[in-house]
Amino acid sequence: MNRIAPAFGPLALGLALAAASHPGFAGLIGASGRPLAVGHLAELALNHLALAATGLALVAALGIGLGLIATRARFAAFRTGIDTLAAFAQAVPPVVVVALALPVLGFGGPPTLLALTAYGIMPTLRGTVGALDAVTAEARESAQAIGLTPAQILIHIELPLAAPGLVDTLRTALILAVSVTAVGALAGASTLGTPIVAGLQNQNIAAMLQGAAATASLAFLGDALLLAIGGLRRRD
Amino acid sequence: MTARLLAGLAAAALLPAVFAGLPLLHLAPNRLVTGAPVAASTALGTSLWPIAALAAGGLGLLAAGRGRRTAGLAGLACLGTLALLLAGLGAGAADLTAGQPFATRARLASGAWAGVIVLVCALGFAARRARLPGSGLMAAAAVLALIGGLWSAGRLDALSLVVEGRARSDALGGAIRDHLVLTLGALVIAAGLTAGLALWRRGRGAVELTVSGLQVVPAVALLGGLVAVLSALLAAAPTLRGYGISALGTGPALIGIAAYLLLPLWRGLQAARRATGPDQLDAARALGLTSGQTLTTLRLPLGAPAFVGGLRVATVQALGLATLGALVGAGGLGTLVFDGMAQFAPDLILLGALPIIALSLAAEGALGRLEAALRRWWPR
Repeated sequence: MNRIAPAFGPLALGLALAAASHPGFAGLIGASGRPLAVGHLAELALNHLALAATGLALVAALGIGLGLIATRARFAAFRTGIDTLAAFAQAVPPVVVVALALPVLGFGGPPTLLALTAYGIMPTLRGTVGALDAVTAEARESAQAIGLTPAQILIHIELPLAAPGLVDTLRTALILAVSVTAVGALAGASTLGTPIVAGLQNQNIAAMLQGAAATASLAFLGDALLLAIGGLRRRD
Repeated sequence: MTARLLAGLAAAALLPAVFAGLPLLHLAPNRLVTGAPVAASTALGTSLWPIAALAAGGLGLLAAGRGRRTAGLAGLACLGTLALLLAGLGAGAADLTAGQPFATRARLASGAWAGVIVLVCALGFAARRARLPGSGLMAAAAVLALIGGLWSAGRLDALSLVVEGRARSDALGGAIRDHLVLTLGALVIAAGLTAGLALWRRGRGAVELTVSGLQVVPAVALLGGLVAVLSALLAAAPTLRGYGISALGTGPALIGIAAYLLLPLWRGLQAARRATGPDQLDAARALGLTSGQTLTTLRLPLGAPAFVGGLRVATVQALGLATLGALVGAGGLGTLVFDGMAQFAPDLILLGALPIIALSLAAEGALGRLEAALRRWWPR
């Protein structure tokens, strides 16, 4: 129980925000406009989840894969470039990537996925490199001394020791994924950002509140899930 | 040696391959459609060959050669290529649009963007390897002077982006001003809040939790939620309107952006606080320094780089988040981006996006330099 305790805060917040996105709540606090029906909101949430999960899978596969390659001794020369590149990649905000991808890829999911990948890959790569760097040289050398092959060292020594750092990296990537997917509503992707953007345009305060609460709820619930996974992976 | 030679050959072939494979311009009947691609040989005419040769020489030299002088030479070749390429594109666009209806646009296509990005990156790389004092700054200034010179000489006037920029120069200036006001305003609010929270010693854990919890909330949701809550508040108490509070506009944007800046600023402040070790403080006390003297001679010099690091992250984030301010009617460069998205006009999107990227890179570069300089100034 103790190990998953840090997940309880985000879980409670996520559940509270999910409750606040119910159409009844908007009426309760007297927000004007037409609230969305539960079914429609659930459909948007499923779309949001599917898009964010696809993007997260892409970002995780590319970011962690490249991070694993970059930490091999053979590619040490590229290491200095990663931090600089990551800093420069952060200079382009996700909205701008979505906007720039729009004329190339058209409306909907694809520009959102591109923005997600482009914006998420460098922090994930940097986080992976940082997590693997935290594995001590002694651990690597003793594994080498007992005759493990490089692949065995990676699987049995480096990855388990780097797991907490990797889970933290994935948490950041997940929050980015949920947030960028909400921005994707501007490019016409049908996500939980849609009621917010549409609500801002036609003064539908109730729908805006529902969308905002549901998006934040999704982010907190995802964060709670990864915190719990990270806690369970940690050995006491 | 062979590997180096192969890398040089591959780098030399990069730009010629881009020119051969990707279109340099799109010729469109109006500003909203993509139009027909124009290949490099048509867009640049006879100047294609010197440009490709110079690019191959510069990039090949950069990848194959070593040493500072070679890097400097490669950098100059890249700068020359960039100048020729931009001037050639401007002239090509002028030729293509000459005699066409007024609405015809010649738009930069994928090949032109790829070429410019590769050349600018190579120039930065060469400037770093040349290791002259301020060579990075010089390279950035050279690129800016080059673009500015070509712009003011009217050599780029036929390009669609420039046409769009000249048509909206007033709106662009206003948007940049609004963007900077939003960014600086949010930074000031967040810095004040961070300083206030830092004084509350008892609640450090709670502040840490709140500030990092805020980071989880997606920006669009926070802005939308703020507008919704503010308008519900105004509906409940209409007298608040008299005090100039409104649900849309600069107010919610400033609050929303500032909320995200708390984390980097807070982290920076805590790192700055921790930069002074207990033994150093003991030594200062043993020397008989007053707490004011400890602050100015020990804490500030040791902590300044870490705080500037936090400020750098916060500034870059603020510049990006200010784009979303346009969603809630706070103006800024996001207005141009969102207008462009609504009209499906790529040039208008670029007109808003390019200054945002340039401002972020400039802030990142300037504050990063300041951080490094502070670290060198007071070595620990």
